[in-house]
Amino acid sequence: MIRMAREIPLIMMKEIGYTYPNGTRALKNINLNIFTGELIGIMGRNGAGKTSLIRTLNGLIRPTSGNIYIKNENINSKSIATLSKIVGIIFQNPFHQLFANSVEEEINFSLRSLNLSKEEIQKRTDQTLLEFDLEKYRKRSPLNLSGGESKKLAAASIICRDPQILIFDEPTLGQDAKEIEFFINLINNERKKRKTIILITHNIEFAYEYIPRTILMTEGQIIADGSTKEVLNNEFLIGQTSLILPQICQFYLALQELGLQEINKISSKNDMTDYLRNLIKNKSSKI
Amino acid sequence: MSLEFLNAFKFMKKKSFLHNLDPRAKLLFSIVYTISALLFTQILPLFFIFLSLIPLILLGKIFRQWVKSIRGLSFLVLFIIILNTLFISLSFALAMILRIYIMVSAFSIFFLTVDPNDLALSLISMKLPYEFAFSFSLAFRFVPTIATEAQNILDAQQSRGYEMQKKGLINQIKNLFPLLIPLIISSIKRAFNVAEALESRAFGSRKDRTYYYTIKYSFKDFVFTLYLLVFLVFVIFIRVQFNSMPDFLMWSLPV
Amino acid sequence: MDLVRFESFYYRYKGNEEYALNNINLKIEGNDSKFILLAGETGSGKTSLIRCMNGLIPQFYAGFYRGKVEIQGKNTIETSIADLSTEVGIVFQNPENQLITMNVEHEIAFGLENLGVSPKEILSRIKQTASLTEIEDILDKAPFELSGGEQQRVAIASILVLEPKILILDEPTALLDPYMANKIINLLQEIRREKNITILISEHRLDLILPFTEQIILMKKGIIVEHDSCEKVINGDNFQRLRLNKPVIFSIFNQLKKENLYNKNIPISISEAIKTLKF
Repeated sequence: MIRMAREIPLIMMKEIGYTYPNGTRALKNINLNIFTGELIGIMGRNGAGKTSLIRTLNGLIRPTSGNIYIKNENINSKSIATLSKIVGIIFQNPFHQLFANSVEEEINFSLRSLNLSKEEIQKRTDQTLLEFDLEKYRKRSPLNLSGGESKKLAAASIICRDPQILIFDEPTLGQDAKEIEFFINLINNERKKRKTIILITHNIEFAYEYIPRTILMTEGQIIADGSTKEVLNNEFLIGQTSLILPQICQFYLALQELGLQEINKISSKNDMTDYLRNLIKNKSSKI
Repeated sequence: MSLEFLNAFKFMKKKSFLHNLDPRAKLLFSIVYTISALLFTQILPLFFIFLSLIPLILLGKIFRQWVKSIRGLSFLVLFIIILNTLFISLSFALAMILRIYIMVSAFSIFFLTVDPNDLALSLISMKLPYEFAFSFSLAFRFVPTIATEAQNILDAQQSRGYEMQKKGLINQIKNLFPLLIPLIISSIKRAFNVAEALESRAFGSRKDRTYYYTIKYSFKDFVFTLYLLVFLVFVIFIRVQFNSMPDFLMWSLPV
Repeated sequence: MDLVRFESFYYRYKGNEEYALNNINLKIEGNDSKFILLAGETGSGKTSLIRCMNGLIPQFYAGFYRGKVEIQGKNTIETSIADLSTEVGIVFQNPENQLITMNVEHEIAFGLENLGVSPKEILSRIKQTASLTEIEDILDKAPFELSGGEQQRVAIASILVLEPKILILDEPTALLDPYMANKIINLLQEIRREKNITILISEHRLDLILPFTEQIILMKKGIIVEHDSCEKVINGDNFQRLRLNKPVIFSIFNQLKKENLYNKNIPISISEAIKTLKF
């Protein structure tokens, strides 16, 4: 992605701190810049502050110190209702949201606070149901959907509001391969619309393969922020955050120990496959 | 303010004289003080009864939490003062306020110092069926969980534009649905999960289940019970003989 | 006598038209302890199958059934769930909803109390189980004070203490971070060795669990599509076709196999992969 020099980050978090009323420090001196159109992963141990961090972005949590700027405006004075139009958070448990009489009603509810005309609401509802392959469930009660379908509906009910920033909390939890594939297509579509996407995830393999930039958190602080392939390949950082090395990296290390020749930059499944393919074809390179 | 008031009834594990007492002794304590409070409408007797609570509160190391219960009543107290002063007298109002303080304290102290586990055990020892006592402690156990869930639901709904404030009574009621329905549904689901887990651990399979923890009346429980009974008898005596009591007891404000 | 035996078992939840379990024939032998993975796409019937193992289906879940399920020779329709809970221990999906007492020690004691075991015996079993699951220093904590990993260990301990012959877990690592998930799976392996009991896990996170797996039961749309040794299933067609979260190592070698560059068994762990390359 070509980025203009001196482009102002879409989200700027400066020295953000948050302490709960009972004294626990959830966030300590967070400094973070996120540019328009980025796809970012936030990873770390449970309790490291990941969910607290995302909650500061739509006003659910007001930092006890520091300032957050979105589109170069301090969000301190903006209400949650206003911020939720720009920042859409899709939480882990879809059943914390679903309550309407039908899938259609559920989407309508989300759109109502946007002050759109009746026609516009109808149009967007139709579009959303189509985009998420939920048209066949239009009149069904959201409580009658399977786990996977309800996760889709929860995402749909936020994305229909067309927020510029999308945040997902554990989107691949409990999902099989086809559901994860749907999700990957979803974020690709949104990226085409130049949306900025943040994912909290434990799924290291998914992050390694699909997310360009990763932020690691531990004990309320950011301890790493950079290219996913580098961040997740760092044994020290992995140890600090209760993660494990992605299989590609583990395999790479193991191959290195065998003293293999020409084991250049392997940074994806395809790279590894190519490498092994050549290795096998040229059986002369003895291990 | 209202949430702080609830915290005045939340059990906190501590090592204190009160905490170590048998829950049944503490239940007796709440009942005795409630009865005592209801026996009088004069300021001074009620004031003395109220004072006698203080040493116990200090013994229980729950002073700060107990104060929250008193503070939480301030709105109600103001209401009582206004109404009662207008219609009866300021003296009566103050007496009623003291009464409320005593009764609320009696139960605040109870809940602050009784472990829900022990509460279930004491109910069982009073011949309540195990299933009833158990559902009682189960409710307690899940209160923090449901509170967290309610907060998560509020967060999720606010993230899609839901707003708390609405005008008009009907709108306010309708506005509760996006919060109540997910909460009720998740509670029902949870109930199912809990039932499933209980079945799978043989819950209710035998009438002769054993109890790993027991509560037993010890020496200090007997002493405390004795004190309570003496206190109650003394208070009843004063009440019955009230008219032959020294005049100062019936003191009231000129208003 | 088989540990688990399903004979032509069908089950449909009340109010549903489709069958959740369709002609299940399954045999898990009781002679040796095993580590079995139950895998399938979401909605394939894994949780329903698990519920049959201690009688929750059909006794607790209203519905229609046909056929027979026997656990250690006991029929799950005629034997009480309480009785079956001494043979089969199930740790369900969300540990939070299984911890129902106010402290960890009581949690472990609970099942034994229900079964009428003497307090002295309970104490000794608690000590043993707490040490095996490494929860000795959190015995006095309340459930909401526990981390996800601790909750999971307590849930496992509370079931293990009933001394079942088979321990079943429904997506035990779902809410855990990768490091914790790994620890729990290692713990299960240790439990299996020490107690000589069979472990059956339903999981989506295949990369963590395949290295320990000996047998796989594959399900699709309520049917058991395959039940065989891990090696056979991984290298078979059914596994290919199912949309499961296959480990990266698997995908790589699978691709090479498709290109006819590799013809041995597909490795499922890094060490296995290295071994096969040393040809």
